Amino acid sequence: MKMLIGLLLPDAGTISIDGRTESIHDPLTATALGIGMVHQHFSLVDALTVWENATLGDTGRLDPSATRDRIGEIAEQYGLVIDPDKRVGDLTAGLRQRVEIIKCLRRDPSIVIFDEPTSVLTPEESEQLFESLRHVVAAENRAVVLVSHKLDEVLHATDDITIMRQGRVVDQRYSTDADAPTLARAMVGREVSLRSERAALGIHSPDDTDLGGTVPAKTDAVLPATAQPVLRIDRAIAHDADGVVALDEFSLEMYPGEIVGVAGVEGNGQRALGDVLSSLLTLSSGTVAVDGTEVPTGRSGAMAEAGIGVIPEDRHDSGLVLDMTVAENLVLVDQSRAATRGLIDQRRLNAFAEEMIEQFNIACGGPNAPMWSVSGGNQQRVVLARELSQEPKILVAAQPTRGLDVGAIEYMSHRLETAAASEVAVLLISSELEEILELSHRIIVMHSGRIVGEMSRAEANFETLGLLMGGTAA
Amino acid sequence: MTAVTAGAAGGSDAQPLRTGRWTRLSEWFALYGMSIFAALVLSAILVEATGGDWRPVVSALFDGSVRRPGRWGETLATAAPLLVVALGTVISSKAGLVNIGQEGQLYVGAAIGTYFGFLIGGPGPINVVLILIIGAAGGGLWAGVAAGLRYWRGVPEVLSTLLLVTVGGQAVAYGLRWEWLLLAPEGRRGNRNQVSEQLAPDNRLPRPDLFGNEFPLTVFIAVVLAVIVAFALSRTVWGFRLRMLGRNPRAAQRSGVSETRYGAMALMLSGAFAGLAGAAMFTGGGFAFGNYQMVPGFSANIGWTGLLVALVAYEKPLAAIPVAVVFAGLRTGSSFVGSTGVEGRITDVISGLLVLALLIPAAVMFLRDRRRARAAATERV
Repeated sequence: MKMLIGLLLPDAGTISIDGRTESIHDPLTATALGIGMVHQHFSLVDALTVWENATLGDTGRLDPSATRDRIGEIAEQYGLVIDPDKRVGDLTAGLRQRVEIIKCLRRDPSIVIFDEPTSVLTPEESEQLFESLRHVVAAENRAVVLVSHKLDEVLHATDDITIMRQGRVVDQRYSTDADAPTLARAMVGREVSLRSERAALGIHSPDDTDLGGTVPAKTDAVLPATAQPVLRIDRAIAHDADGVVALDEFSLEMYPGEIVGVAGVEGNGQRALGDVLSSLLTLSSGTVAVDGTEVPTGRSGAMAEAGIGVIPEDRHDSGLVLDMTVAENLVLVDQSRAATRGLIDQRRLNAFAEEMIEQFNIACGGPNAPMWSVSGGNQQRVVLARELSQEPKILVAAQPTRGLDVGAIEYMSHRLETAAASEVAVLLISSELEEILELSHRIIVMHSGRIVGEMSRAEANFETLGLLMGGTAA
Repeated sequence: MTAVTAGAAGGSDAQPLRTGRWTRLSEWFALYGMSIFAALVLSAILVEATGGDWRPVVSALFDGSVRRPGRWGETLATAAPLLVVALGTVISSKAGLVNIGQEGQLYVGAAIGTYFGFLIGGPGPINVVLILIIGAAGGGLWAGVAAGLRYWRGVPEVLSTLLLVTVGGQAVAYGLRWEWLLLAPEGRRGNRNQVSEQLAPDNRLPRPDLFGNEFPLTVFIAVVLAVIVAFALSRTVWGFRLRMLGRNPRAAQRSGVSETRYGAMALMLSGAFAGLAGAAMFTGGGFAFGNYQMVPGFSANIGWTGLLVALVAYEKPLAAIPVAVVFAGLRTGSSFVGSTGVEGRITDVISGLLVLALLIPAAVMFLRDRRRARAAATERV
């Protein structure tokens, strides 16, 4: 997608438009070739009015009245009514997207790309949008590319479907030939599992040995209903920075010793869930309670203090301070183990760091190496070491194996399993279904900030999960 | 800073770091040498071009800052408030805040200290300490206005601290027009119309005399403060958390460092240091600083220059000591250049060029470090 609008250059291969091979090296060329895109994340300037935003990227002199007239025309033609003089910052998410669409259509593109257009729209608004899209295609001979993970809308609004997974086209068919289950299967895919392949070849990571004992056998047993939940999220509602609802009446209970997998297509509230449990996001309503005690959301350090450890989705965002040393990063959350009466005891800090480095096999230039000098996989180990050394009651692992190599993935999985075996409740948020199916005792599926399905490991399979992730009831 | 204590496991790996340190040091020297030389050459050309002779100018710079009797005392006396202001600036920048209103915080702090000093008028030594404390509190409160605006209303502190300099200047000038505030009573202000009373001799900071060089006690206070700040930032939990906030606010939020609390504290502390510097200028007196009287323009650019000192010292409290002395020397030295017959404006340009020469290496190194860090980060991830 980024390639088509000139933000990314292909390493190999060509792009042809109307039979001519074109090279798109910047967004302006893309516009000139008639490619327009409506982004999922708005590229609008809040402080400017609607018509001003529509002219962004134009060159030469502005003609306010002509632009306003053109917006009026487009609005009438496609049923996208909007006041051109309103400030974009004052508009709702749905209306902002309308501005994006108008901005794109104003340039009269022959190919329009929509990236997850309905993620911020209400069902009626989506319906309306698809109707105007049909009109655009039929009456004006434009091509529309709709990028979406919602199976329903893909089936209803399109003529051809191409299914992509990990940068590859895995399937292509006519919408009339397709149904939700086949799409779901193709979408989540079933390749030879990296893990099972390794097991078959008898390869073991050297890390296996330092776990001190055998990894417990996985239990699919449902935990006794009488146990007290260690974490309880009750009807949580949260909004992201754009004001879009990220968590919508999200409720979850977790018990000690279980691994709960959170499946779902990315961008369906998983990040918000992680942020809430890291005290980075305040709930608009709803509560979070640990061991029956309510924890105030968004108050710095409250979640960590209550016993929630977090391996964040992006470790550079809230997991590490790159300009501090490895040792300092190991005591980021709790300095008390290296301090007496408010003074940091360098010797104790180093001793603790050495211990962690050894225990977790962190490859680095010693406790005083700056964090940025350590490789990604080892940075992740620092985070893991710190969070586990806090002896958390709950461990949130958000995309814990993203970008790691196979050995590191295996190591992380073992660690999560041992944590669960020692009565830690592990919340595994991952967009990789395989990971979830391998580790979880219980699986919940998130869609648009809501839990749309919950099942035990035994009940789960790729197809049902895929359907739920696509927003279709199984 | 901490690599010296690298443990056994890191011993072999720490080696490249240490050799890196030596190259760094020589890079620093080379950069400073080059830029100061360039500034001197430019200055010489300027003096020659305007019909002067560059040799006496250089000589006058040295005379004024160290060579003439009593001059290095004067330089140290000037360096002390610069250092105190710089230390405050280091604290706020460590927390990731950009305080550029030291000039106003210093002025307001000094004025508030002056007001209460005359109001209370207690016995000598006690009153001096009181003025210093109240001055610090005043500067802190003035910075607190910016902190409040930032954390309740989201006003960037870069803007608010800067604009509050102007507001503070006007407020003090207003105070100097009314007898119930700062203005000295009729008959005790000579023929000047905006001046406070003079501080009684027993209400002044002692000025020890060393080898014919006299300077106020502030010099020792400032050095002690530098050591305390250096220690607090690198060795206390408080400093640790402050640095965490400055380097990654989101990690800090997650780890229980409240941005509002620590950030406001850092900004107010930074203002308090500026206020303390102002109160010390007032009670320490001396030729440069108003002669124990509050006057318009009392702050005498010490706040701005102190900010530069912190910048050049690269946010390191101990490095700020020599840098403050160098800047003070430039100031006391250039006051002598006028006597060589070179026009006053040219003198200003020369000291400006020298200040630039001191700033450029820090800026170059900063950009370079960042580029290196980034390259290293992308390479290893």
